[in-house]
Amino acid sequence: MKANGIGGAAQSPALAAWLAIVGLTLVVAVPFIAVVLQGIFPNLGQGSFAGPFSSLLATLADSALIGMAGNTLLLGGCVVLASAVVAVPLGVFRALYRIPYAPFWDVVLLVPFMIPPYIATLGWIMTLQPRGYLQQLVGFNLAPFLFSLFGMTLVMAFNTFPVVYFAVSRTVEAVGSRYADVGRVFGATPARAFWRITLPLSAPGLAASLMLVFAAAIEEYGTPAALGRRAGFQVLVTGIDLRITDWPIDLPGAAILSLLLVAMSLVTFLAQRWILSRRSYQTVGGKPTAKDKRPLGALKVPVMIAFAVVAFLATGVPLLSILATALSRTISGGLSLGNLSLNNFILVFGNSAGAVGALVNSFSLGIATALITGLIGVTAAYTVVKTRMRGRMTIDVMTILPNALPGIVVAVGLILAWNMPWLPATPYNTGFILLLAYCCILLPQPVRYTTAAFQQIGDNLEAAARVFGASGITAFRRILLPLVFPSLASAMLLVFALASRELVASVVVAPVGMQTIATFIWRQFEQGSIGLGMAMAFIAIVITTLLPLLLLTLLRRSGLVAE
Amino acid sequence: MLKSLKSITFGVVAAALTAGVAHADVTVYTAGPQSLIDKLSAGFTKQTGIKVNVFQATTGKVMARIEAEAANPVVDVLVSASWDTATDFAKRGWLVKYSSPNAAKVPDFLKTDSAVAQGISALGIAWNTKSGTPKPTEWADLTKKEYKDLVNIPDPAQSGSSFELTAALAGQDNFKLFNDLKANGAIIAGANADALNPVLQGAKAAVFGAVDYITLAAKAKGESIDVIFPASGTVIAPRPAMILNWSKNQDDAKKFIDYMLSDEGQKAVADEMLMPARTDIPANRPLISDLKLLKYDAAAVYGKRKETLAEITKIYGGK
Repeated sequence: MKANGIGGAAQSPALAAWLAIVGLTLVVAVPFIAVVLQGIFPNLGQGSFAGPFSSLLATLADSALIGMAGNTLLLGGCVVLASAVVAVPLGVFRALYRIPYAPFWDVVLLVPFMIPPYIATLGWIMTLQPRGYLQQLVGFNLAPFLFSLFGMTLVMAFNTFPVVYFAVSRTVEAVGSRYADVGRVFGATPARAFWRITLPLSAPGLAASLMLVFAAAIEEYGTPAALGRRAGFQVLVTGIDLRITDWPIDLPGAAILSLLLVAMSLVTFLAQRWILSRRSYQTVGGKPTAKDKRPLGALKVPVMIAFAVVAFLATGVPLLSILATALSRTISGGLSLGNLSLNNFILVFGNSAGAVGALVNSFSLGIATALITGLIGVTAAYTVVKTRMRGRMTIDVMTILPNALPGIVVAVGLILAWNMPWLPATPYNTGFILLLAYCCILLPQPVRYTTAAFQQIGDNLEAAARVFGASGITAFRRILLPLVFPSLASAMLLVFALASRELVASVVVAPVGMQTIATFIWRQFEQGSIGLGMAMAFIAIVITTLLPLLLLTLLRRSGLVAE
Repeated sequence: MLKSLKSITFGVVAAALTAGVAHADVTVYTAGPQSLIDKLSAGFTKQTGIKVNVFQATTGKVMARIEAEAANPVVDVLVSASWDTATDFAKRGWLVKYSSPNAAKVPDFLKTDSAVAQGISALGIAWNTKSGTPKPTEWADLTKKEYKDLVNIPDPAQSGSSFELTAALAGQDNFKLFNDLKANGAIIAGANADALNPVLQGAKAAVFGAVDYITLAAKAKGESIDVIFPASGTVIAPRPAMILNWSKNQDDAKKFIDYMLSDEGQKAVADEMLMPARTDIPANRPLISDLKLLKYDAAAVYGKRKETLAEITKIYGGK
């Protein structure tokens, strides 16, 4: 158990490392190894190891593969670019200037993240398609624009840019204007000080968030399936889904394509590591920072317009479309007073088709997932950044693997791993299998956020605590944890929101007789009850937005979180 | 204090997680309407006292789960939306031979010695009555210029019944109809529900080969939509129910099949706007005897599945 932690204090780093390793093995390694084995041994599902590598060649020789892989990279790149263009300026202004009604904008820009991507896409389709809501209101439609790479990129970017916005605003705020002021003293113009000092110092948060966006974009199923297919735009995930849902099922082929996705995600991750490893980003050094933000001055009007436009497109349009659909008696009735009805909401609250049970299931799973991934995340990030343990790179890589595993593949991996007949006890066919699936899929969020936060904390802070006699655990609990807590808390809230709406893995792995919010909505759509599905979606979005806000307010009152 | 708080939290979470897991006697995996299987399992439990555990998804997702579980399967009864499943599973030797006494009134072509239809859906043209287009009566009508850019086709790769319709019609004229549809701006638009949604809102006028019961249920809810079964013929999709040979509860599973084919069970099927498998159960919709069925050799059609799908992809795929 000897680890070369700071000052030779073995206890705290070793404890953290062991916690991280056990958690990661259970949550990530088990299903991932099952997927790899499935790729190698096609008959693994029947418990046979016959014919190793026999489907590798067949899958990789598929002529459509290069096109799908290229499209995947193209889409991922476009979404990253669009998210950065939308989010970075807003985030920087939010961090450095006094924005009127800043908390309000934060909430409004958080909502897109609470809208499940497939719901947002459906909302956009119902708004922009011929005779959609836009045409019913103003007389024209934008269908050709929507069903294209451009439309897909925008819809996905509006869904993911909050990751970048919050990461940038938080890290730039942490860097503060102190370093830039030093530059100003030495004669740099404000723009130069920003480009050469503030922005580079904020790189960890920015790079981490952009990588999360890329991984989310190449792993996303709903939007490319709904918009891309019509534009003849196949990506790897839609190819994987086809292999899994088209009889005869091709599990080995799906596993191999998933590993390709994982490889893409790993490359971006290594690139991010390489960029960050070239220099130090430590900016939190215990010196007091001035929290004073500058007034916007003449920029006030344009900045406010930018915030309003982005908020309207990312939050307003999908939300209004969802609400309009949920409040319609019939879809074909369109937007008219006579077609207005609360019937769908009454059905949800009347527990039609088990709606209330689905809400309870999803929210308890979301809370449990947030707690577990938060714990694994903070211990793994601490081990990777703040200790010199051997094998910490392996831990870091393990935390990134699930990033690119499509939900459906995680689900198949979990079934393969946990449904072995010789296991004495198994979480399979209980709610715990969903918990494992969500933890696996969402673990990268807290890890990436807390890693970025740890990278900004100077080593001298922990060392100072140790000099004054604090034990390793005390130093971690009293010094490091409070400093990373804002990042950890926001990541955990994100996990809560994402877990309570996860669809693809839930559909396949859900125990018999158990519904979640997403599977409920999906079943309503499958049966043509779009209004009922949308009513459920709206309620879920409102709760997933309000619950975390309430929690944060309570934490702030109790003084646990400063900002 | 903190400790007890922790244990309470854990207890609550654990209770919430295991709440859905009653250890029931019969496990049913089923494609298609949740409300139907809810009604069937509630009625069955009421009558026999045997509990039913349900997993419901699309046929594809149900199959993926069975495939992944193959080392340690738990499913007793499977209801698929594609008859092909029954043929394939019988060939693999996965099915229990069983003839329910209640299946006497099920026509011969809807049962084998190891599978029996729960109900039947048919494919038709789903048409928005307020779309401003003339009411179509034939498949070929949708190639007319009134329907330019207004037709959705469910993806034959994602829907078994859509594939059979595609194969049967393409076999008649060597894909001419599908080329004409493409020339008229028709598109392939996801699985069945994805294809219907734009027609409800009016973005499209018609679905070429829509699953009838979903459309009829929407019509019953007041949507301005109708289903037309072309006189030249269409295809039906019987939904086979079967008992898996690894089931440890085969007697209870047989009772479930019996209940599904009872008067009460078949009435539940009819209430979902599906055609009941038994010919003596009334339904408020056109029945098999009212429809003209396209003639094709199912075995040959499925034998050429890859080629047919490849041809469709060639016509509709990409730009």
